[in-house]
Amino acid sequence: MRAEVVYHLARRDVVKFLRDRQSLVATLVRPLLWILAVGFGLRRAVGTGAIGVDFVSFLVPGVATMAVLFSSMFSAVSIVWDREFGFLKELLVAPVPRATLVFAKMISASVTALLEVSVVLLVSPLFGARIDPLGALLAIPVLVAFGMSVSALGITVASRMKTFEGFGGIVNFLIQPVFFFSGALYPLEGLPPALAAVVRLNPMSYAVDATRGLCVGVHHFPIPLDAGVVLAALALLGTLAVRSFSRMQA
Amino acid sequence: MNPSPAIEVRDLSKRFGDVEAVRGVSFSVKEGEIFGFLGPNGAGKTTTIKMLCTLLAPTSGALRLAGFDVTKSPEDVRRSIGVIFQDPSLDDRLTAEENLELHAVVYGVPRAERRARLDEALAFVELSERKKDLVRTFSGGMKRRLEIARGLVHRPRVLFLDEPTTGLDPQTRKATWEVLRGLRDRNGMTLFLTTHYMDEAENCDRIAVIDHGRIVAEDSPEALKRAVGKDVVFVRTNEPAALCAVLAERYGLTPDRTEEGLCFRVEDGEAFVVRLVSDVRVAVTGIAVRRPTLDDVFLALTGRQIRNGNGEAGRDTMRAMARRR
Ligand SMILES: Nc1ncnc2c1ncn2[C@@H]1O[C@H](COP(=O)(O)OP(=O)(O)OP(=O)(O)O)[C@@H](O)[C@H]1O
Ligand SMILES: [Mg+2]
Repeated sequence: MRAEVVYHLARRDVVKFLRDRQSLVATLVRPLLWILAVGFGLRRAVGTGAIGVDFVSFLVPGVATMAVLFSSMFSAVSIVWDREFGFLKELLVAPVPRATLVFAKMISASVTALLEVSVVLLVSPLFGARIDPLGALLAIPVLVAFGMSVSALGITVASRMKTFEGFGGIVNFLIQPVFFFSGALYPLEGLPPALAAVVRLNPMSYAVDATRGLCVGVHHFPIPLDAGVVLAALALLGTLAVRSFSRMQA
Repeated sequence: MNPSPAIEVRDLSKRFGDVEAVRGVSFSVKEGEIFGFLGPNGAGKTTTIKMLCTLLAPTSGALRLAGFDVTKSPEDVRRSIGVIFQDPSLDDRLTAEENLELHAVVYGVPRAERRARLDEALAFVELSERKKDLVRTFSGGMKRRLEIARGLVHRPRVLFLDEPTTGLDPQTRKATWEVLRGLRDRNGMTLFLTTHYMDEAENCDRIAVIDHGRIVAEDSPEALKRAVGKDVVFVRTNEPAALCAVLAERYGLTPDRTEEGLCFRVEDGEAFVVRLVSDVRVAVTGIAVRRPTLDDVFLALTGRQIRNGNGEAGRDTMRAMARRR
């Protein structure tokens, strides 16, 4: 795999992301709305008793992980887009292994996701969140791995879908449960057993847990376990993405 | 030692459900040759190119390109080829230069040469001034020129061109052909192209006429024309049925009905026309005599004209629309 090829392929997506000003602003502002509305909306009611920290601080890592989920998943729409507008043919006849194309897409997805995460983490102290800067830096590799695995899932879906509508339908169907059953919005302690079981099966729960543990010091699982699960999901979904993408015909 | 042919195709077929797009096609193209696929809409030209450039798996048949088996070593094949697609294939949210640069990187053009190659390619299609502009701001013809330039950036051994000059003005078409011939002469590049333009097909060393997924003739343009041999006569009349009957009865001819009137082939066109006009009582409104062209070759082989003027215009508009989305 030639690093220069990956760099240029990924740069193409990032450049286009930055060039589209309106959607860029919307993407960067959306997570902040979550913190404002949900964070301040529930702060009084939740208190600090059950979660160990102020609710806004508790919520920020969850929202950061959510931003990674949405942004990485939808970044794969560019494959559907490329197919629709014909550029995919140019990529598929190029003397580049399919795995390289997939890897570059995963990289660009996680770079754009990281941009959003940085905004969330940098702005959140203004909302009174107490984030450990060193912990936040350590959380970045976890979020990158999580973003890559989500984008791999998106690529798998995009490789099998012929239309925007088809892609949008499937992705929305996948993304809602992953988000709601992840502990991004609530602590994992004392959940009803059925919900707890679902949450344990969801790789995002571990990404949220690690990020929260590293950024604000509260977590449910051991952090090495969190990291292990996220990496395992990455390996599995990455393999699946390469396989689906390679099967695709122009 | 005999070098292996640039392209070798044996009994190639492709079926899409009920549609047999390509039905048992065989041909081979020598290194440095300009080979053309000439055929009407839906003949199977694009489908054949897609199979040759690894984008589509054949239903059956053997394909070799630059010595590599296309189905077994697609990566080696991709390294040897360049493709100028019939349908749009640019990223119109990137600039012209960015499109070419990504292509150069992906095809492994050495960094030291990249700048020069891009500038050369942009200059050749006269887009140097617009290189920093987003492709979506380009006209249809400018986009097409950029695609041609991109196909040349990495100097492939075998270049596929699927209707390369559709949508280009006559000057640009001519200039494009000069460059393509130059590439063949200087670098020994092999060119495989498809076209409906007869004058364009005449640039080829060899032509395969393809219709309904089958090759109906294959030879040099001159030989094909010679095979048709006779002069082509068009006669316009308001009573085609009556004239047809006369031509059949008295001269044993079976004219084809075309846009330009009744069409038939005779040994000495001028002499025949003089005789016909004095012989026949049917009112004739126009007469034309031509030496055979590839159009006539196609007509003689298939009984149909390759495409009328209307189809041409309609198609270019469709292409422009597809590009504008
Ligand atoms: N992906 C596909 N699925 C189904 N049918 C297809 C597909 N691609 C091509 N065909 C069919 O195969 C036949 C040959 O199509 P092809 O695109 O190869 O024609 P062509 O010679 O390139 O025509 P044109 O001059 O219009 O470009 C047509 O009948 C077409 O409808
Ligand atoms: Mg075609």
